Amino acid sequence: MKAIQIKQPGGPEAMELAELPVSEPKANEAVVKLAASGVNFIDVYQREGRYKVALPFVLGQEGAGTVTAVGGDVKLVKAGDRVAWTGVLGAYAEYAAVPEDRLVPIPAGVTDQQAAAALLQGMTAHYLSHSTYPLKRGETALVHAAAGGVGLLLVQMAHSIGARVIATVSTEEKAKLAREAGADDVILYTQADFEAETKRLTGGKGVDVVYDSVGKTTFEKGLNILRPRGMMALYGGSSGAVPPFDLIVLSQKGSLFVTRPTLGHYTLTRDELMARAGAVFGMMAAGKLKLRIEHKYPLAEAQQAHRDLEGRKTTGKLLLVVSRES
Amino acid sequence: MKAIRVQHTGGPEVLELAEIPVPQPKPPEALVKVNVAGVNSIDGHFRDGSFRAHLPFVPGQEGAGVVTAVGTQVKALKVGDRVAWSGTLGSYAEYVAAPEEHLVPVPAAISDEQATAAMMHGLTAHYLVNDAHKLKAGETALVHAAAGGVGLLVVQMAHAIGARVIGTASSAEKARLAREAGADEVIVYTEQDFEPEVKRLTGGKGVEVVYDGVGKATFEKNLNVMKLRGMLVIYGMSSGPVPPVDPAKLSEKGSLYMARTTLAHFTATREELVARTSALFGMIAEGKLKVRIAKKYPLADAPQAHRDMEAHKVAGKLLLVP
Repeated sequence: MKAIQIKQPGGPEAMELAELPVSEPKANEAVVKLAASGVNFIDVYQREGRYKVALPFVLGQEGAGTVTAVGGDVKLVKAGDRVAWTGVLGAYAEYAAVPEDRLVPIPAGVTDQQAAAALLQGMTAHYLSHSTYPLKRGETALVHAAAGGVGLLLVQMAHSIGARVIATVSTEEKAKLAREAGADDVILYTQADFEAETKRLTGGKGVDVVYDSVGKTTFEKGLNILRPRGMMALYGGSSGAVPPFDLIVLSQKGSLFVTRPTLGHYTLTRDELMARAGAVFGMMAAGKLKLRIEHKYPLAEAQQAHRDLEGRKTTGKLLLVVSRES
Repeated sequence: MKAIRVQHTGGPEVLELAEIPVPQPKPPEALVKVNVAGVNSIDGHFRDGSFRAHLPFVPGQEGAGVVTAVGTQVKALKVGDRVAWSGTLGSYAEYVAAPEEHLVPVPAAISDEQATAAMMHGLTAHYLVNDAHKLKAGETALVHAAAGGVGLLVVQMAHAIGARVIGTASSAEKARLAREAGADEVIVYTEQDFEPEVKRLTGGKGVEVVYDGVGKATFEKNLNVMKLRGMLVIYGMSSGPVPPVDPAKLSEKGSLYMARTTLAHFTATREELVARTSALFGMIAEGKLKVRIAKKYPLADAPQAHRDMEAHKVAGKLLLVP
C-alpha cells in the first residue's frame, strides 16, 4: 500500500511516499481502508520531531473509511462498516490498523470526507463548549482564532447554545467567515486591541469564558477581560507556550479559573468517545454544523498540504483524499 | 474607647492597647458596639505590612455586636439591631463604624461568637463547597488543614452534602477533631506523606477536588492526587506563595482546573452576602453546622492571640472580647 512515511524528522520534504505492506490487525484491531485523512497541526509537530515518535513511522492522526478486516477479539465493528477515528497514528496511508475501541461509526448523512474533516476539531469544539466550560444561553464567550478549524466549529456550537460570541480574527475575510458561523461581534486583532474592545463590547463586565488556542500572545490579556470567577480555557499555543505565571494574578483579577485541556482526556472512555462523536456527527447530519473543507490533496501531495497549513493562510480543513468514498 | 492600634508594622508586639475617640459614623455607616472580634490570618498580613493600610490603624476585619448610632443615609438598620460583618478594618475596638452594606442581621438563635465564626471562615467554607467547586454527593474532596478554622467548616459542609472527605492535619488531636466534624479519612501529614496516602485511599483514582489553604507546601503533590479534569481550589497560602505555574502541567496531569480565590469575589453583591450568611445562620441554628471557638482573649491580649494563630497550634476560631 501507499503511505506517507517519516524516516528522519524535518521539514515538509521529510514526508516520503512509500510502498509498505498492508498492516495485519492485532487481536483488538480492525484494518480500515481509508477514504480520507485529516491534516492537523499535531502532524506537523510530529513530522518536525517536536513531539517524539519512534522512527520510522506513518504520519496522520485522523481518518475515515471502511473496515476490511478485523482481529480475533474484535466485537464492536465488522468488515464493511464505515468508521472514523482520531488519536491513532498512521492515517496518511491507504490502510490503517486501529484499536476497535477508538473507532466510531459514521452515520448515513455524513460522508467519509466530512467525518475525516470533523472528528478531531469537532470533538474539540464540543468538549470545550459542552464539558470544559458548559456554556449556557445568555452567557458571553470570547473565541480566539475564530476562523480557524476549531474556531469556526466552536463559534457555531456556542451560537446554537444561545451564547453571545465575541470572536477574534486577523483579516476581513476571516471576520466574514466568523460572522457567517454565528459570531455576534468580531474583533480584527491586527487593527484593534482585543482587550479594550472586549471591555467596550461587554460594558466593562467581561466575558464568562475565554477559549484560547493562541497562548503566549493572548493569555495575559485574556485574564483581563474575564468577569470575576470566569474561566480561561487554554487549549493550544499556536503563538508559543504560555510562560509560567504567578497564581496571585488569578485572585487579583477576580478569583479566576484556568484549565489546560486536551482532547485525549475528554474522549478517554468508550462511552464518552461515542457520545461526543455521535453528537458531532448528529449536528452535521442535521445541517446544524457546517464544515469548511478548504482544500483536498491526493496522498502524494502531503508535502504541499503541510506547506499550506504552516503558511497559516488557510481558513478551513485540509484533507488528504486517499481513495474514492464507498 | 479602648482599641488595638498599629503605629508601625511588625510582629505581634506592635498590637498596642490605646485609648482613642469613638469613631463617628459617616452618612452610609452605622456605629456598632463590638461584642466580639474575630482573629484571622489576614490581620497578621496587615500587622506585618505584607498588606498595606494607612498608619496608624486599628486592625481587625470582622466581628459581631449591636448598632448604637446610624448615619443619615442608613436605610434598613436601626439602633439596637444585632449585626455581624467582615471586610471592615477597625474591628479590634470597643466600637467600629461600618458601611451598612457590610452589616448583616444576626437572628436571635445565633450568638455573637457563632455569628463571628460564620463570617470570614463560614463564608469561605460556603463558597468553596457551593461555588468554587460545587461539590456533589459521591464525590471525594481532599481538605487540607482540616482542623483549621475554615477546614472544620468545609469538612462539615462536604460531609452533609454526601461527599467523601479526606482531611489532612498536623497532629493526632487535630485528626480527632476533623473526624468528629465528619472526615471519612484523616492523614496526619507530619507522619505520612499525603500523596501516596490519598492515592491508596482512592484506589489510585484521585479526588474530584482539593480545597487548599496551605499553598506552597502542598501544591505539587496536589496535582498528583487529582482525578482527570479535577479541580484545585487555592484559597490561601499559609505556607507561603506557590512559585509560578507552567500551564502545560495542568494538561500533563489530566486536563486539570485550578483557581486562586478570595472571599470578596464571592460576596461582591449585597444579595450574595446576605444569601450566604442566611444559609450559614440557618445551618448553625438547626445544629447542622457547629463552630468551634478555640480560645477567647481580652482585647489587651491581642498580641498573644496573634502568636497562637501564627504557631498553627489552634483548632477553630480565635476571638477577642473588647
